[in-house]
Amino acid sequence: MIDDPILFGSAALGLLVLLIAIRMPIAYAMILVGGIGVMLVNGSALVLNQLKTLAYGQFSIYDLSVVPMFVLMGALASHAGMSTALFRAANAWLGRLPGGTAMAAIAGCAGFGAVCGSSLATASTMGKVALPELQRAGYDGALATGTLAAGGVLGILIPPSVVLILYAIIVEANVVTMFAAAMLPGLLAVLLFLGVVALYATLRPAAAPRGGALPAGELREASLGVLPVLAIFGIVLGGIYGGLYNPTPAAAVGVALVWLYGALRRRIGWAELGAALRETAGTAGMIYLILLGAELMKIFMSRIGLPQATADWILASGMAPMTVMLLLLAALIVLGCLMDSLSMILLVIPFFWPVLTELNGGLYTGPEGAFGMSTEELKIWFGILALIVVELGLITPPVGMNVFVISSLAPGVPMGRTFRGVLPFFGAELLRVAILLALPGLTLWLPRLLAG
Amino acid sequence: MSASASRTGLPLAVERAATLWAMAGGALLLLVVAINVASVIGGLFGKPFAGDFELTEVGTAVAVFAFLPFVQITDANVSADIFTQRAPVRLVAAFGLLAALVAMAFALLLGWRMYLGMLDQKSYDYTTAIVQFPHWIAFLPILASIALLALCAAVTAAERLARIAAPGH
Amino acid sequence: QEYTFKLHHFLSANSPTHTDTVAPWARAVEEASGGRVKIEIFPSMTLGGRPPELVQQARDGVVDIIWTVNGYTPGQFPRTEVIELPSVFVNDVTAANLALSEMFESDLAEEYKGLEVMFLHVHAGQAIQMRDTEVRRPGDLAGKKLRIPTRTGAWVIEALGASPVAMPVPELPPALQKGVVDGALIPWEIIAPLRLEQQTDYDIEGADKERLGTTAFQMSMNAARWAELPDDIKQAFRDASGPEWLTEMGRVWRENDDKGIEMAVAAGNTHITLTEEETQAFRDAVAPVVDRWIEEVSGAGIDGAALVEKARALVKEHASAQ
Ligand code: NA
Ligand code: NA
Repeated sequence: MIDDPILFGSAALGLLVLLIAIRMPIAYAMILVGGIGVMLVNGSALVLNQLKTLAYGQFSIYDLSVVPMFVLMGALASHAGMSTALFRAANAWLGRLPGGTAMAAIAGCAGFGAVCGSSLATASTMGKVALPELQRAGYDGALATGTLAAGGVLGILIPPSVVLILYAIIVEANVVTMFAAAMLPGLLAVLLFLGVVALYATLRPAAAPRGGALPAGELREASLGVLPVLAIFGIVLGGIYGGLYNPTPAAAVGVALVWLYGALRRRIGWAELGAALRETAGTAGMIYLILLGAELMKIFMSRIGLPQATADWILASGMAPMTVMLLLLAALIVLGCLMDSLSMILLVIPFFWPVLTELNGGLYTGPEGAFGMSTEELKIWFGILALIVVELGLITPPVGMNVFVISSLAPGVPMGRTFRGVLPFFGAELLRVAILLALPGLTLWLPRLLAG
Repeated sequence: MSASASRTGLPLAVERAATLWAMAGGALLLLVVAINVASVIGGLFGKPFAGDFELTEVGTAVAVFAFLPFVQITDANVSADIFTQRAPVRLVAAFGLLAALVAMAFALLLGWRMYLGMLDQKSYDYTTAIVQFPHWIAFLPILASIALLALCAAVTAAERLARIAAPGH
Repeated sequence: QEYTFKLHHFLSANSPTHTDTVAPWARAVEEASGGRVKIEIFPSMTLGGRPPELVQQARDGVVDIIWTVNGYTPGQFPRTEVIELPSVFVNDVTAANLALSEMFESDLAEEYKGLEVMFLHVHAGQAIQMRDTEVRRPGDLAGKKLRIPTRTGAWVIEALGASPVAMPVPELPPALQKGVVDGALIPWEIIAPLRLEQQTDYDIEGADKERLGTTAFQMSMNAARWAELPDDIKQAFRDASGPEWLTEMGRVWRENDDKGIEMAVAAGNTHITLTEEETQAFRDAVAPVVDRWIEEVSGAGIDGAALVEKARALVKEHASAQ
C-alpha cells in the first residue's frame, strides 16, 4: 500500500478523520498521522531528526508573528470597552433591520478583515467582541455562532491576507495585483453574507429579535464613541497601505494604541492586561500547534508523492480545462475539510498551478489560452477562486477551524448547531464561486484597470 | 475551560505554574511589540531598529512555546465534539485520556529531540544574521516550556483517568 | 534505479535557478551514472521546514541533497565568505566558481562538517535595486533599509550608511511593496521570477557590471549517505560537478542576469550604470568591509588576510572574457 500514494494517502486521511471524530485535538491528530506516516514511508530516524528544528522554525515564521499580536489587540480592545463601542455604533445603524445585530457582526468582521490577514484571528477576535452582544440581543445560537464563523472568513477574503501573499509567492504573482483582484470578490462576499442574514431573519423572525430604532441623541453618541476605534484602525491600516510598515509592526502599533486608549479611559489595569495575555496565550498557542501539525501532514503528503501523483493523473486524463478547474476547486474543498488554509495553499498550489499552466498552453501564453485568458491572468483568477474554496474548509464539517474557534467561545451552543447555522453562508459562498467562475471579469477588472 | 476551581494540591500548583509561565511568555510578546513600535518610530526619523525582523521571529517563537502548557492545562486545543455528543461520559473521558497521552508523548519526544537540536545549534554556531544572536539560547526557555507541557499533559491525563474510574456515572 | 536521492531547495519550480541549474545538474548526474541514480527534486520547501533549516536537514539526513544560500545560516561557513567580499568578487561569476573549487580542499572543506559538498558557486553579484530612490553616490543610501541575505552583505550596507534587513528572498516582493524595505542588494536574475520590476523603479550597478560583492551557494549531500556510495556513483556526481559545469553555471547566471535587467528596462525601470568615477566612490566606501571580515574571522582562528589574497589571485587567474 505504501507504494501507491493515492491509496496510502487516502488511508491516512481516513485515520485523521477518525482521530478527529473521537475528540483528538486537531493539532495532535495531524501531528500523529503526519509523523507516523513519514515514519512508515522513510523510517523513524528521519522524523526524529526533523523534529530537532521543525517546531522552532515554524514558530519563528515572521509573517505569523502578526497572529498573536492581532489576537492580543482584539483582547485588549474588548477589555477597553472598544468592541462594545464599535458594536453599539454598527448596531445603532443596522439594528433596525431584520437580523441587524448579526449584520453588524458581518460588518465588523469585514472591517477587522481589512487590518487582519487571518481568518482564525478574525473569527476569534470578532467572536469575542460580537458573540456576547448577539447572545444579549437574544439571537438564536445557531445563527449567532454561524454568522461569526462565516464572518471570520472575511479576514482572509478581504486584503491584506497572509494566504494571498503566500499564494502570490508560490505562483510568482504580484502581491499588489492579487490584493486588487481580491477587492471586488471580497465586497461581493460581504453583500451576500448580509443578504443571508436578512433572508434568515425574514424567514425565521424568532431567531433574530429585531432591535428598535434609537433616539437621535443615542444614535449620535454611539456613532461618536466609535471615533477613537476608527482612528486606531485608520492608523494601523493607513500605515500598511501608506508603506509605513508591514502587518507585524502595524499590529504592534495597534496593540500599543489600544492599550493606551484603555489605560487613559481607566479600563485597562494590570488585571485586564493579565486577562488579555491569558486569552492570547490560549488562542495563539492553539493556532501555532495546528500549524505545526499541518506542516507534518504536508511533509508526509509530499514524501508519498500524493500531490504529484494527482497532478500526473490529471494531465494524463485528457480532460477539458474547465473540468479540471472545477475538479481542482472541488479537491480543495474536500481537503479543506481536513486541513488549514495556509498549509493547504503551501502544500497543494505548487502542484496544482503547473497543471493549469500546462493546460492553458504554457507560462507565456497570451489571451488565446485554453481558459480564454493569458496565463498571467489565469494566475490571478485561479488564486482568488482557490482562496475562496480553501477558506470554505474553515466552515465545513467535520473540521471547520472557524467553527471550532467560535464554538470554544460559546460553550452553551453545541458544535452541530454552529455547523447548521453556517450552512446558509456556505451556500452563499458556493453561489459566489459560481458567479466568479462565470464572470472572470469581476476578479480581473481592477487588476486590468491598475495595469492600464 | 478553567478547571482551577476543582483543582487542589499538585494539579493546582501545575496549573498556576503554567499560567505564570504563559504570563512570562506574554511579557516577552509585549517586548516584541515594543521592539516593533520602536522600529516604526525609529523608521519615521530615519533610524530603523537593526535586527527587528529576527528579534521578532525569535521572540514570538519563545513566547508561543511558553503558551503551550497553558493551552494544555486549560484544554484550549480545538477538537470536534460533533460525533461524540451522545457518547457515554466514560467513553468521552477515555478519548480525553488518549488525547492527553498523545500530548504527553509528543511533548516528551519533542523535548528530547529539541534538546539534541539545541546541541546542534550550539556546536554548529547557528546565529541570527544581523545581531548574531545564538539560536541555542532561545532553546533554553523553549525546553522548559516543553517540559511544563509534558507535566500539564500528565495532570490532564490523570484527571481523565480519575473520571473513568469514578463511580456514579 | 539503484540509488534514489531527495534534493530539497526553497525556490519555486518555475525559478530560473530550478529550471536552468538545479534540474540540469540532477539530470547530468543521472546520465553520468548510466541511469543508476535518480534525483527527485522537491522545490519550495515541500519537504517541510524553512530555508534556514536546509543545512541541518542535510546534516541530519532528513533529505539527501540540498541547494541553499550559505548566508541563510550565518556564521556557519566563515571561510567561504571570502568570495562574497567586494573587491574579491567584482563581476566574473565563472572565475569565482572556479576559484572556490580550487580553494575547497585546502582552505574551505573543514567548515562543511556533516556535509559532502557537490559544488559551491556564486551569483552575478549584488546590484542595487531601489523602490523609488535614484542612487548615484553612496550618500544616496543613507538611512535606507535594504534587504540582504548574508552578513557580509549586511556589512556592505552598513558601510554605505544604510540599514540591513535579513529575510529569505521569497519575502522580498511584499516587503518592497509595503515599504518595509527601500531596496535590496541582489542580482538582476531574481527580477523575472519575483517580478521585482513591479516593485522597483531604479536598478543600479557599477561600471563594467561591477557589483558590491556576491553571495555563496552550496549543493551538498548528507556526508553519511555519500560515504556509503560506491566509487563509480561518486564519480558520476563528481563528473557532473567539475570545471565544465562551474563554467556553464557562470554562463547561465550571466545570461539570466542580462535577461532580468532587460525585462526591468522594458517595464520602464531606470537602469543606472555608474561612471568609473562614481564606481570608485562606492569602492572606497565599502573597502573597510574586507578589513572588518578579516578581523571577524580572526576570532575563529582563521587567517582572513591570506584567504583574501588567495581568492583574489585565483579569481584573476581564471578571469574569463566578459
Ligand atoms: Na484580511
Ligand atoms: Na472544514
